[in-house]
Amino acid sequence: MKCPKVLLVATGLTIFASVNALAGDVKVIANASVKADTISAAELKHVFLEEKISLADGTHVEPVLEKGGPAHEAFLREYLGINEDDLQTYLRTLVFTGKGSLPKAFGSDTEVVAYVARTRGAIGYVSSAASTEGVKTLAIGDTSNSAERKLITRVEPDYPETLKRLNIGGTVRLRVSISAKGKVEEVELLGGNPILGESAAFAMKEWVYAAGRSRTTAEVSIVFGGH
Amino acid sequence: MHRRIVGLVVACFCAGQLTLPAQDFKLFDRNVQIHGFASQGFVYTNTNNWLTMNTSQGSGAFTDFGFNVSTSVTDKLRVGAQLYDRNLGQLGQYHPSLDWAVVDYRFKSWFGVRGGKVKTTLGLYTDSQDLDFLRTFALLPQSVYPTDIRDATIAHLGGDIYGGVSLRRNLGAISYTAFAGHRSDSIYSGFPYLAAEYGIYYSRYGGLQYGGDLRWNTPLKGLLIGASRMNEDLTGKATLVERTGSGTAFVPESERSRADWTNQFYGEYTVGKLRIDSEYRRFLHDEQFTVLDHVVLETTTDVRGWYVSGAYRVMKRLALGSYYSHYSVTSVAGGPYAALFPNQTDTSLPANHIYDKVITARVDLKKFWNVKVEGHFMNGYGASTYPDGFYPQVNPRDFKPNTSALVVKTGINF
Repeated sequence: MKCPKVLLVATGLTIFASVNALAGDVKVIANASVKADTISAAELKHVFLEEKISLADGTHVEPVLEKGGPAHEAFLREYLGINEDDLQTYLRTLVFTGKGSLPKAFGSDTEVVAYVARTRGAIGYVSSAASTEGVKTLAIGDTSNSAERKLITRVEPDYPETLKRLNIGGTVRLRVSISAKGKVEEVELLGGNPILGESAAFAMKEWVYAAGRSRTTAEVSIVFGGH
Repeated sequence: MHRRIVGLVVACFCAGQLTLPAQDFKLFDRNVQIHGFASQGFVYTNTNNWLTMNTSQGSGAFTDFGFNVSTSVTDKLRVGAQLYDRNLGQLGQYHPSLDWAVVDYRFKSWFGVRGGKVKTTLGLYTDSQDLDFLRTFALLPQSVYPTDIRDATIAHLGGDIYGGVSLRRNLGAISYTAFAGHRSDSIYSGFPYLAAEYGIYYSRYGGLQYGGDLRWNTPLKGLLIGASRMNEDLTGKATLVERTGSGTAFVPESERSRADWTNQFYGEYTVGKLRIDSEYRRFLHDEQFTVLDHVVLETTTDVRGWYVSGAYRVMKRLALGSYYSHYSVTSVAGGPYAALFPNQTDTSLPANHIYDKVITARVDLKKFWNVKVEGHFMNGYGASTYPDGFYPQVNPRDFKPNTSALVVKTGINF
């Protein structure tokens, strides 16, 4: 009786996960030299459009692209807000007018991970199922109504054993309300597997941000699995 | 002609079997990139000859290519250079030029400097106007980006300061460029070519140009708006060749601008596979001509152009586009020679405007190789005292009011 129940739950979760897999199936990775654990969506866009060469903490960064595939498409759609043609036009305008260079581009997740692992300051993206040994995974926080709040204390969420065993993972997106003192007041699940989201929300309530001038909100993405 | 076309077809077929990867290699532990592009066009017009080519017979004298090398010396310091060459009818004539050669140091995202020969940031496409592989259209709207006088705005020997900042409260991002330097026109450009019609042969033309560009990526996703301004202080040295009854006289002539400026306003909106652009440019050219230390002519030329364009990628390998380009020019002359140049102030006359309706199809045969077919339906031919595509030298029997043109162009890039 127990097995059919687990199967039923797993089947339901798998269907749910695949429905939510459109944009959540990409994770942002960085070389170990990158100090930040979180990068805002806006900052990520500036880095990949070569408008920024360093993060807010001063770390030099180098964007790394995939040549195509679902992770590339999801990344462009979710974080850059442009299609492949527009990206190539933009980058080639920089290259042929002397105002920038073409970022390194690789044909597979494995190649991206390998390059990011050995290149100081490299930031790339891979599908959430890819192995990311040797690199760090950055959480994406999108400050929506204020300047970015620095994360001081981060508690990693538990990865529920059943889901882990069934290899059900992915990215969950949450909106977090942060008090002026830096305490997490509310966490709302925006997308992704609800069980993973519940686990993430539970952990995030322990997070502490730097004090700010007022209450703020931020969007955060957390990746489960794929390691 | 047939041999040339067959050669082109064979070359295209061979190119189709190839791939053109960008060259990327290590030199002294630095990553060096080499990129390039080339294009070949064919233009046929039903009446007037256009862009200094004999287009009424069909002309393939429409070739350009460029190569660049660049590398990052440090995280913040980048160097590079590009060579460019072209032949457009009587212009360019395969005299290569250093298109840009830049040392760029970016202190912060909001502040960087670049020096050398720098592409001028003016409106959406001034700095990238040669790079037709980046766009759906074979020719940019000639009202704002006249290809025959590209030298007038393309680059300056000097420097830029530039940067960008994100605005708080989700108000988007602003980027800016301020520039100053020396413009130096090729003597194989449209302006010297037109002047030759009046017996004036330039040996040098150029001068100081300075200005800036401010653009705002608005909170509305895909919408960019901006404005540019450029002031110029230009001089020209030429020889006035006058044929008299007793022979030919060669008289030194010089030219100096008094208050040249350009204002440009623009917007670009992209949503999905659709891109819509619109720009307005006004160029005021106020100049004084001197012969043997006497001012013989003063002219004020007011050039105004605007366009609206739309391009849509129908499928992976096919994009369609259309634009309307509106150009008008007026000129007022004073001084002893003014009678030779009657005032042109009525922009409704075909001699003082060009209204161009354009449709284009772009086919991407490969990622690096495209073919474009473009139709132009033009009313007017502009004034013969300012270069705007229609030149008296290649239209000796005067101009017809309407011109239809077929442009076929193919290009590669890597």
